[in-house]
Amino acid sequence: METNIIPRKGGFNFDNYKRNLFLEQKGLTLPKVTKTGTTIVGALFKDGVVLGADTRATGGSIVQDKDIIKISYIAPNIYCCGAGTAADTLFTTALISSQLELHRLTTGRQSRFNSAETMLKQLLFRHQGHIGAALILGGYDINGPVLAHIYPHGSSEHHPYITMGSGSLAAVSVLETRWTKNLERQDAIDMVKDAVEAGIFNDLGSGSNVNLVVIEKNKTESLREYSKPTPHHPKNCDYKYKRGTTAILKESIKDLVVVTDGEAMDIS
Amino acid sequence: MTDRYSFSLTTFSPSGKLVQIEYALNAVSQGVTSIGIKATNGVVIATEKKAASPLIDDSSLEKVANVCPNIGIVYSGMGPDFRILLTKARKAAQKYKRVYGEYPPTGILVKEVASVMQEFTQSGGVRPFGVSLLIAGHDETGPSLYQVDPSGSYWAWKASAMGKNMVNAKTFLEKRYNDDIELEDAVHTSILTLKEGFEGQMTENSIEIGVIGSAVGYTEDQKPIFRKLTPSEVKDYLANIA
Amino acid sequence: MSPGSYNGGAVVAMIGKNCVAIASDKRFGVQMQTIGTEFSKVFPVTEKSYVGLPGLTTDTQTLQEIFRFKANMYKLREEREIEPRTLSKLVSSTLYERRWGPYFVHPLVAGLDKNNQPFICAMDLIGCITETCDFVVGGTSEENLFGICESVWEPDLEPEDLFETISQALLCSIDRDCFAGWGAVVHVITPERVITRTLKSRMD
Repeated sequence: METNIIPRKGGFNFDNYKRNLFLEQKGLTLPKVTKTGTTIVGALFKDGVVLGADTRATGGSIVQDKDIIKISYIAPNIYCCGAGTAADTLFTTALISSQLELHRLTTGRQSRFNSAETMLKQLLFRHQGHIGAALILGGYDINGPVLAHIYPHGSSEHHPYITMGSGSLAAVSVLETRWTKNLERQDAIDMVKDAVEAGIFNDLGSGSNVNLVVIEKNKTESLREYSKPTPHHPKNCDYKYKRGTTAILKESIKDLVVVTDGEAMDIS
Repeated sequence: MTDRYSFSLTTFSPSGKLVQIEYALNAVSQGVTSIGIKATNGVVIATEKKAASPLIDDSSLEKVANVCPNIGIVYSGMGPDFRILLTKARKAAQKYKRVYGEYPPTGILVKEVASVMQEFTQSGGVRPFGVSLLIAGHDETGPSLYQVDPSGSYWAWKASAMGKNMVNAKTFLEKRYNDDIELEDAVHTSILTLKEGFEGQMTENSIEIGVIGSAVGYTEDQKPIFRKLTPSEVKDYLANIA
Repeated sequence: MSPGSYNGGAVVAMIGKNCVAIASDKRFGVQMQTIGTEFSKVFPVTEKSYVGLPGLTTDTQTLQEIFRFKANMYKLREEREIEPRTLSKLVSSTLYERRWGPYFVHPLVAGLDKNNQPFICAMDLIGCITETCDFVVGGTSEENLFGICESVWEPDLEPEDLFETISQALLCSIDRDCFAGWGAVVHVITPERVITRTLKSRMD
């Protein structure tokens, strides 16, 4: 028991690996993890970069979360869209953003896009594709706006416009039609929004809202729920149960002590 | 195997003292003076920035530093030792954040740093750190100021001073401090305290000031942020005093 | 057969007006055989935050002890109770540490924070957090629960109404899941008290 609960130094813990392998060999199928499904998009414009993502998370065919944030903070000037295994994208980006923050504190400089890209791809390559994170990395540093995609196996490429995830087939049609060099800011935002919406409507793994992040020189704007193309229609009436509907066998009430600030105790 | 021979240098004297720790405190008391004052709405920490030679580019020196957005730190004593502790403190803050999703409260970070310093009084093959630290932070309990010594002991202070001019500075602070002091006044008081034992002309480049509090600025999640004052801000404070 | 359905079980949590509720069935089974009927999958971690751990029972129990240990150590170290949101991050990082050899659980966290703001979230077995402002579900009755919760949940339910809603949602779901059922227990957490009720349910 103790080996399980004493805080560890860090890194992964493989204690259950053999047991789980044994269970698998006995014919048990391992449970599904939450996937992002996802349409994620990134595009360069005249003097910045726009990142966009849908907000649906799926477990098999179940919509696990209707409003998940898929654009992660890496540094004040760098953000990252994640597709694939949701936990992997979140923890991978959190780890790299933590390392970059330490780097910024020691160097006293803005983080470079290339640092983030290299750290992410080396981490993914080290794990040989087992970390299921497909990323679109966007940022603005001394070299201007940059956009790259990183595959789970650790390869990366720079492109002026990128889409990944199960909705990328729908989204890329919008990008291929509308992307041009030196797009205006608003045109780029509209294009990315439409590309994500193409994913939302045409790909079952993507859905709900469009989140955007616009990164420019010394300015990052996060546009949550920039578009809500699939509004929720509230019920016209309700299904409220009458009090007393449920039969109870036993009841126990634990009253909590409410602490209020009173007069200080006299200790003179 | 080498562990077996790396005896601790810090051993008790027959009278029960750990002289290595006392020597470390001597190193601190020879160091440059640092001041910390806790105000009602924040904390200020300040120190002299003394270059050994006028030829040194003093813009590259950094003595007041960020540990994480809500915690800042300053030292008196040996610069190289401080850098080690600063790196460890920053890593500890990041490690905490990776587990709990938030930066550590000031007290937890202080305990972390203090336990590192304690370890170096009892381990083999190492010597104690030749620094005392002032750690200023802001968390859900409000602003707080801690001092950590080479032995690993730590206290929370309303105001404190350490280094060469500690005795005079503490007397000065005792006279000047009151419980209702606000951050703006605390910054002034810290400068005046430093001025007490200051050799030569005090300029915006010869002192460093760090502040945290509700008036200073906020992180994205609306938590107070620790920030070093820029030379021009320090200049304004100095102009107000003169 | 998967480890998640070997023992069976269902947990659901909902947000009400200044309150939260978390409920679970009480069956402990091994595949199609029922072994016990007093096994709730919901555990208190602090006075006002509860964790639900449907999944493989051995992992449910191991994790219950780990989280109780970690939350108690947190309390001793930091001299404060762990907040539900912080607790969820702790659960999440504990699970992700075992990314390559996970515990087969689907954790739910429900509680009121220090300002008595409601918080609920769910996670997959490797710690991907889903935080919502309505309801979260887990266990073998997950799909059933999703369906009925989407239908009967509504915002700003008073504690007593929230109790009826979560109870009926759970009872209906486990009646159509042979791996879950055999009794149910509901905790309603309000700023003043925690009301725990055992429900009358089908025992088949």
